[in-house]
Amino acid sequence: MAIQQPILEARDLTKRYALGETIVDALRGVSLTVQPGEFVALMGSSGSGKSTLLHLLGGLDRPTTGDVILGGETISDLDDDAATRLRRDRTGFVFQFFNLIPLLDAAENVGLPLTIAGQDPRRGEAAERVRDVFELVDLGGKQHHRPDQLSAGEQQRVAIARALVNRPAIVLADEPTGNLDFTTGGEILEALWRSCAQRGQTIVLVTHDAKAAAYADRVEVIQDGLIRDEIVLGRRADHTTTALIARLAQLGL
Amino acid sequence: MTGLGRFAWRSLRARPLRTALSIVGIALGVAVLFAALATDAGIEAGVGRTVDAVMGQSDLRIGAFEERGLSQSSLAAIRATPGVTVAAPVLEQQTYLQRDPLTTSDATAGAYGSPVTVIGIDPAIDGTAAGIHDLQLAAGQGLTSGGAAEALVPASLAHDLGLGISDTLTILGSNGPEPYRIVGLLAGGGPDPTAAGRAVVVPLASTSALFGSRGASWVDVRLADAATVGGVIAELDQSLTFEPYVLSDRADLAASLQASTAGFQALTALIAAVTLFGGAFLIFNTLSMTLSERVREIGLLRAAGATRRQVHRLVLVQALILGVAGSILGLVLGFGLSILIVRTVGLLGDRGVPIDGPIVPPQGVAFAILVGILVTLAAALEPAIQAGRISPIEALRPAQAGRRSIAGQLRWLAAVVVTVGVAGLAFWPIALGPFGVPGSGTDAAGIGRPLLVYAVLLIVTLLTPLVLGPLGRLASLPFALFLPTEARLSRGSLSRDRKRTALTVGALTIGLAMIVALGGLAGSAHAATDAWLTDVIPGDLVATSIRPVGAAEGVSEQLAAVAGVARVSPIARFAVAFRGVRLDAAAVAGSDLGADGRLTFLAGDRRAALIALDAGGSTIVPQAVADEFGLQVGDTLELPVGGGEAVDERIVGVVARGMPGQSGEAILIGWSDATSHFGVLGADAFAIRFAPGQAVAAGPALAAVARGLALEPTPLSGIESAINDAFDRLFSLFDTLALLAVLIAGLGIVNTLTMNVYERVREIGILRAAGMTRRQVWRMVVVEAGTMGVVGAFLGCLAGVVLGFALGGVAGLGSSAGGPTIPWLRIGLAAAFGIGIAMLAAFQPARIASRISIVRAVQFE
Repeated sequence: MAIQQPILEARDLTKRYALGETIVDALRGVSLTVQPGEFVALMGSSGSGKSTLLHLLGGLDRPTTGDVILGGETISDLDDDAATRLRRDRTGFVFQFFNLIPLLDAAENVGLPLTIAGQDPRRGEAAERVRDVFELVDLGGKQHHRPDQLSAGEQQRVAIARALVNRPAIVLADEPTGNLDFTTGGEILEALWRSCAQRGQTIVLVTHDAKAAAYADRVEVIQDGLIRDEIVLGRRADHTTTALIARLAQLGL
Repeated sequence: MTGLGRFAWRSLRARPLRTALSIVGIALGVAVLFAALATDAGIEAGVGRTVDAVMGQSDLRIGAFEERGLSQSSLAAIRATPGVTVAAPVLEQQTYLQRDPLTTSDATAGAYGSPVTVIGIDPAIDGTAAGIHDLQLAAGQGLTSGGAAEALVPASLAHDLGLGISDTLTILGSNGPEPYRIVGLLAGGGPDPTAAGRAVVVPLASTSALFGSRGASWVDVRLADAATVGGVIAELDQSLTFEPYVLSDRADLAASLQASTAGFQALTALIAAVTLFGGAFLIFNTLSMTLSERVREIGLLRAAGATRRQVHRLVLVQALILGVAGSILGLVLGFGLSILIVRTVGLLGDRGVPIDGPIVPPQGVAFAILVGILVTLAAALEPAIQAGRISPIEALRPAQAGRRSIAGQLRWLAAVVVTVGVAGLAFWPIALGPFGVPGSGTDAAGIGRPLLVYAVLLIVTLLTPLVLGPLGRLASLPFALFLPTEARLSRGSLSRDRKRTALTVGALTIGLAMIVALGGLAGSAHAATDAWLTDVIPGDLVATSIRPVGAAEGVSEQLAAVAGVARVSPIARFAVAFRGVRLDAAAVAGSDLGADGRLTFLAGDRRAALIALDAGGSTIVPQAVADEFGLQVGDTLELPVGGGEAVDERIVGVVARGMPGQSGEAILIGWSDATSHFGVLGADAFAIRFAPGQAVAAGPALAAVARGLALEPTPLSGIESAINDAFDRLFSLFDTLALLAVLIAGLGIVNTLTMNVYERVREIGILRAAGMTRRQVWRMVVVEAGTMGVVGAFLGCLAGVVLGFALGGVAGLGSSAGGPTIPWLRIGLAAAFGIGIAMLAAFQPARIASRISIVRAVQFE
């Protein structure tokens, strides 16, 4: 893999917040680079700080100290409006719980970032993009189903399509399979994988599940607000977990 | 239970703003209700006081039928009637005081501008312990018997006039000014509350110098203990045969006074009910909001063993807390409001009944609290049932916004409507008194109109959820022009919980409907007044006299001789009795009305009718009178003229509007009949028509001539504006109350929007994560409110126009004929106000929405 300009760079991030009376250091100095087209997994147990890191990377939250640089632009000191525009145009999010707007149908949900940006997702190039991502997540024909008419897996794939629709620089997925059974979780991961493998989509995935992490090119292990280890798996199509689990076991995880 | 009670209290305390809003909502409703009750009690007390003051210690009043009054021989006959112990003659006449520029300062000029009522009494009877009319002196002494030119003046009036004891008061009589010496100051406003403190009491014997040889306007009679009113009436029937008279007792007077205030009371009651309705919406919203937030908690309670009944009780206890707090606050606010009402309205109705107080009726306090709590509990019924249905499993599953059935919506609405309706029905008889709305004839019709209003509002409220979808889409169109993204995203949230949106919009609709309906009523009252006067008065101005001006005096000719005057037509107003009812009548010259082109004939031949009127034996009746008595052209009115005799007047025409009378429209009678049969001595007004284009030039000259003849010239527009001013004062009060209702609706919108925001914290989090700015979120909520505002404004204005037509002629406010008008300006203002209030209400919820933390929103489950 040739040396490229990283698409995403985190430099010495710390995040401290107050939980009632106690001060919590969620991140204690995390640095990370992601190359274009990379699929990176952040692994760790509950409370390790992996979700906090994802929020900082996507501009949902601001670090206490440190910088996040997306596509050459420092985003960690942007004001709320600028951070919002950045999210709208450059990032896509997938959350654990099926984050669809129940009143909108699948196509409308997918078109949401376009709608927010003032485009009509039913017309022209925008409509083309919506159709395209529907194909990618294998949901062709379900455009006009409402969220309550879709299965849990289908709902999450709609959420992935929404994250992909404005061709973001990076897709950030926070435990997208956490709420799903084994098989359905697999469909989700396949969809993410396809976008990475076929479209060169950069993805950062947060998970505590080795099966999900096995889809990644590289796994960053987070513990107590620090990156404990890096496991490079390389690009593979078999997604076997054996090697990963062996490494994790060595780390005592 | 105590544990659950504490739970209820805590859950209210957890959301102080929302709890406060609900309490304020119910408080405003109770406040208007209580203010209506307190004002009502004040009106009743005012009526009672007026009856006492007017009737004094008398049991029976014998009124003069003819303008020349009751003669000395009639008085003697009354005194000689068995059973009569005291007979006190009274003369009452309106006139003006003359200001002496040398002795009075300019500051008092205003006090001389309005008319005063001169009350002539017999000092030998009244003012003594045995008298019928109680004259309480604040200073000085009473009148001496014998007819000296002495006067008693209310202390407040004397102060306004800048006069004191021993000063000279110059009263304008029909033969010029007459000096009177003030000998005493009366406590309070004087003997006649309807004179609003502008009364001057003089010896009856001295009034011949002022008003010529007029007899008593009436004789008040006290009966011996053993005598009965009926028996004395029978005796009078035998002894008092030479002059026609009209008998009235306390009950008659009270009835006529109450009748003149009933329209006001009915409308106040109606607005109170409507406001309370709005309060109920607010309570309902609050409770269901609290519930939807606590579904899991209640599920846990149920899982932990709480019974359905306990959950019901939990919600009802919350409602009870809100209801009690709101009702108590409402009483305080209501008392303040009633002070405002009493101050604004002052005198009520065409009889000028003063409102006392405000009086706090003990049963009113209980009633207002009871209604407040009942309405609150009714509003809590549906949320309580919903809460009871929450299954223990809910605690284990993620919250899902459930859709409730239409049947559920209707059931709840029906419950609230029935409760408020029953409360209203219980309240209306108190408000109306036992006499109903005048002009409508019966009690049933009096209650009928408010019921009609209620029905219209009910239908609108029930229809709202059904039309919400299409109307909401239409309503969001204007917003979509400017904020397409926000409009698209907010569109769906109106249908999120149709019932809640419908109720919120419903409250706004009802408040706005009241404002528009009142505007329509005020507009049609104005239009009716203007059209009425223009339709029937054959002149540009009216010169009024304080005494009847006989045809022989040549006043008419002198006025007509002024350059630029085209026509002078004499008019006299008097009363006749028909089928035992007092009927206003006016003596007019048919030829003048014909030449001037006045009167709109609905039946009968115009030319022939007007000629027949002048010839005698004929009458023209206004449609209102024809409708009331079921009369038509060709019928004959048998009108008693005293001495057991009657004259027949054949109806030769029915007109759209008659002359304005004292308490309605007057029938028209020719001058020849009026003077020969009904004791009319002369004109009390002259309608003067200028030649085209001459009004400005001839006006001053005519005014000078008229004043020289002791006439007061008033342009028609002046009369119109005086009537309209009275309407406006009343309507501004009603408007204030209706605005309160809209304000409550505004609070409801705050509640609903807040609830919508809390329900989609997660959704808003996603929208923010997907790139929606804070400003966009803020605008989305405001657009949502604006859409509700537009829907509410549309429905409200529509219902208001319908109501305006339905209310058309609430007696004493608008008249039956003339037709309601559509108040476009007011519709515009009301719509803007409603939409504005709605968007203003969005401010806080929008702020909450825009500040939602994305990280928390997307993690929160």
